[in-house]
Amino acid sequence: MLQQENPDLRGKPVGVIKDKGRTCIIAASKEAKKLGVKTGCNVKEAKILAPHIILVPAEFDIYLDATKKLKKIFENITPDAEIFSLDEAFIPLKTLKYIYPNPHKLAIKTKLTIKEVLGEWITCNIGIAKNRLLAKIASEIAPKDSIFEINEQNEEEILKTVNFSDVCGVGFKLEARLKELGVEHPYQIRTIPTDLLETKFGLFLAEALIQIGRGEGSYILDRSSAAHMKSVSRTITLFKLCGNETQIKSVLYNLAEEVTYKVRRMDMAGRQVGFFLQGEEKTISAHRTLKQYIRHTNEMVEIIEDLYKNRKRTFRVIKFGVFLSYLKPLKEVPPTLFSEWYKNEKLYKSLDAISQKYGLFTVRSGLLTQVKDIIRPEVTGYLGDKKYQFMEE
Amino acid sequence: MYEEVNAKIKVAGVYENNLFWPRKFVWNGKLYEIEQITLTSELRDAGVKKRLYSVLSKGTVYRLLFNRDNETWFLRALWLD
Repeated sequence: MLQQENPDLRGKPVGVIKDKGRTCIIAASKEAKKLGVKTGCNVKEAKILAPHIILVPAEFDIYLDATKKLKKIFENITPDAEIFSLDEAFIPLKTLKYIYPNPHKLAIKTKLTIKEVLGEWITCNIGIAKNRLLAKIASEIAPKDSIFEINEQNEEEILKTVNFSDVCGVGFKLEARLKELGVEHPYQIRTIPTDLLETKFGLFLAEALIQIGRGEGSYILDRSSAAHMKSVSRTITLFKLCGNETQIKSVLYNLAEEVTYKVRRMDMAGRQVGFFLQGEEKTISAHRTLKQYIRHTNEMVEIIEDLYKNRKRTFRVIKFGVFLSYLKPLKEVPPTLFSEWYKNEKLYKSLDAISQKYGLFTVRSGLLTQVKDIIRPEVTGYLGDKKYQFMEE
Repeated sequence: MYEEVNAKIKVAGVYENNLFWPRKFVWNGKLYEIEQITLTSELRDAGVKKRLYSVLSKGTVYRLLFNRDNETWFLRALWLD
């Protein structure tokens, strides 16, 4: 997207960082990848591999808009199309074989539409296969900007040769544990006795691995089943370690403000609150499950403060996180008898109306007045809050 | 790197196919002709709708932000080598 936006960046090694001054490469252009720069690479390391690399801060708003445009394109093909992450989608065609008898032709047309809508520099890999798992592998192993099909003829060969880094749901840690069993490619899972897999990985993961080994669809790739979000969380990594108590509380408040705003926008409420703080190789975390449902910032912050004061922090903090889970649609939540809740509801409805008209944090708590840079909402590549992000489309 | 500017600007352009396409803008009293619009993005700040035009003028990329609610234009950032 950034190369589409800026012709100066085209054909050059570009590393995307989260923000100015950040040290982790979160995405790399194909030119940078050719020089060995990978996602997750340190900026110093990247500069050794690609001395002329251009570092550009990510523009999550721009990416989210592109995802929304892609969603429209795919939903024109079938309303069952599912956005999987910020830059990935599944388009099920099984029930549409009379409308689209040739998936390759559809793939070519879709690529052209994407270029028309997003720009000529946008590349797109399309994987075609009998299920999500294989389609995703096909898109990963396809050469840049191309279409690749996994069919009966090449399926076994691909499962024997593909690396786990190209298999969705198998991360570095799981890959390492599989390696201990001598498994380096999905097909080899078939050679491991089921009871050994179950002992080592547990029943659910063992079943998922068996499915991956057989090239069958795996539940790992199914994110569409939940009717609504079960949890809203927000994390942030600061630029430097922070030991100032007021600042720590402000950051937690700031994050809780965003979480509860999203929960209210989705007309939901939750009854489990938690937080974590990390830094100097130490962590503290705590959560509390409540009897009643909450959705107001002050309620959430009160619980976080209470949880926090019971934990002795002995380190400076760099990473913060808060969550509100066990979410339920408000209409399913039993009404409360506490009049305070209705007062809060009225107050936050008014605040939300102001935010809707003038932008988030237009009216803010006194706790945030000392904060130099308000932490604003941003999307992640995983797009875990897609139900919220797409609700107004 | 993109340099944040966040300055009010004046913009002239044309309406075509239900969309506004900027053609030139004035920043700090200087006129900039737009040669190409490389990207348009619909952005939101809660309920406030904004449209970002990434435009090319004399080889430099400028990010022009249009607040669709109060119809104001800002130069959000420009690309500096």
